[in-house]
Amino acid sequence: MQFGIFTVSDITQDPTTGRTPTEAERIQATITIAKHAEAVGLDVFALGEHHNPPFWSSSPTTTLAYIAGQTSTLRLSTATTLITTNDPVKIAEDYAMLQHVSGGRIDLMLGRGNTGPVYPWFGKDIRQGLPLTLENYELLRRLWREDVVDWEGRFRTPLQGFTSTPRPLDGVPPFVWHGSIRSPEIAEQAASHGDGFFANHIFWPASHTQRMIALYRQRYEHHGHGRADQAIVGLGGQVFMRKNSQDAVRDFRPYFDNAPVYGHGPSLEEFTSQTPLTVGSPQEVIDKTLGFRDYVGDYQRQLFLMDHAGLPLKTVLEQLDLLGEEVVPVLRREFAKNRPADVPDAPTHESLVAAAYGDAAPRQATPNPNRGDNLTVGSPYQDTPVEAPTSSGSAFGPAATRSTATRSTSIR
Amino acid sequence: MTKRIVVISSGLSTPSSTRQLADRLAADSVAQLRERGVEVEVETFELRDLAHDITNHLLLGFAPPKLEAVLDKLATADGLIAVTPIFTTSYAGLFKSFLDVIDPQSLTDLPVLIGATGGTPRHSLAIDYAIRPVFTYLHANPVTTGVFAATSDWGGGGDGVRSLPDRIFRGAKEFAELVERTDRSELVNDPFALDRPMGHLVGGLAGE
Repeated sequence: MQFGIFTVSDITQDPTTGRTPTEAERIQATITIAKHAEAVGLDVFALGEHHNPPFWSSSPTTTLAYIAGQTSTLRLSTATTLITTNDPVKIAEDYAMLQHVSGGRIDLMLGRGNTGPVYPWFGKDIRQGLPLTLENYELLRRLWREDVVDWEGRFRTPLQGFTSTPRPLDGVPPFVWHGSIRSPEIAEQAASHGDGFFANHIFWPASHTQRMIALYRQRYEHHGHGRADQAIVGLGGQVFMRKNSQDAVRDFRPYFDNAPVYGHGPSLEEFTSQTPLTVGSPQEVIDKTLGFRDYVGDYQRQLFLMDHAGLPLKTVLEQLDLLGEEVVPVLRREFAKNRPADVPDAPTHESLVAAAYGDAAPRQATPNPNRGDNLTVGSPYQDTPVEAPTSSGSAFGPAATRSTATRSTSIR
Repeated sequence: MTKRIVVISSGLSTPSSTRQLADRLAADSVAQLRERGVEVEVETFELRDLAHDITNHLLLGFAPPKLEAVLDKLATADGLIAVTPIFTTSYAGLFKSFLDVIDPQSLTDLPVLIGATGGTPRHSLAIDYAIRPVFTYLHANPVTTGVFAATSDWGGGGDGVRSLPDRIFRGAKEFAELVERTDRSELVNDPFALDRPMGHLVGGLAGE
């Protein structure tokens, strides 16, 4: 099981000092936090995407590429990548690039966005949020899996003979998680492709998360990717710890009371009883987190939000120390107990390469000289086209009705 | 099959004339349905009791458990009796806040009997210019008679020709006719419906 942290990149005033960090400070602090996450033994760092203040992370792959260069084992992900307003072509290119520079230490989590105007800023209509999500993802999948793509849809200019470069590392697209808190359609989308499903239930009662995950698991099995309990599930969480519980509550309360999302709403006590937020000792965090398994089953990835609401860098690093030294080792041990052997771990680049090629050497895409014409001549790459070894078909969208992949030069 | 009616009263004081009107509307509706041989269950909720939950829902995007239970009952009801005081020429802010946290699709085809209370009969049209359009927007099915009770209606100074009990009777009759006919509670579609028990899906420890 993977453990890690995620950040939404908010730049929030520290309510205890009245000071708001600069963009430059918060960006550097986040890089420090990511490196510290690796140092304390965490597996994953995931970064949000926003296009408005007070957030800074408008260009996640730039930041993640730098972090990749500063780390060696940390797996980098997003929380979330906007599949609605980003051009799927640019997502395909950016994250294939990130795969290459990080040595395959990436995956990504798709989401729909969190502020209404982000749609019109990028020329989109928020009422088309779901159709955009479905169409853009279908195109993204093809761009990673087919060397040459002819495509026409409702929301983007058509493509004729387009090749997304670089081809995914070792010919294996990054693993994709779909994040949603309330849309059954997204659970269905994740299930239909056998992708991961991430429920960020930090602001949300456990009963909702349970329903979403159960639906995703049921549909995962329905689409033939495995048993329901083998589906790939990730959960969000939020914690604040001190050695003893009272100190944690006392120190976190001003941040809670003034936080951007839940501040000035319910009391800390109401909120911690209704959501997974845990404010207390490391043991309380362990107990609450282990309880997640009781309602979603054995799962693959647990991410914690640790740097939200104006918490200063020093405090966040202390939190990571507690998380890495006292909490996660126990969680690893306890979650491993009674976990069926055939419940998989979250896919990694290595596991996806092994699944696609077995013992054979993975594809290394080598282009032919550019003849300026992908339409009439064969593949732009030197290797021979073969049938795609993909097992997961599309349940909807244009791909569902295509009888064969067009000009598919896939793995091997 | 037993019909389920939800009564929402948005009065702020205790006791409240809004609640009193809600109870009268409910009592007449139940009496008329029983006369037609229809079994009926009524559950009444005071928004005052849910005021903090409603505000938290507005701020956070999810319903605390007590509010969620009410929203679930509303979504699967056969009829709604909605009564609000008129403040500053319109529905009470708490009433609108409650409507704002309802899933916009969850009142579709729901028979609604609107009631309102106010200081003077001069505000009685607020039912038709302020409240009815909201239910129309939500694709609910409000009956044509809305019942407004001014303070004077509770004593001798009320309308002597079309008295409050007459108006309640008329609204309740229209409402009972719709409730008797509706089959919406049988049509409610849960997008999260599962094909087997939750525990069987999650497996492992949670499945035991």
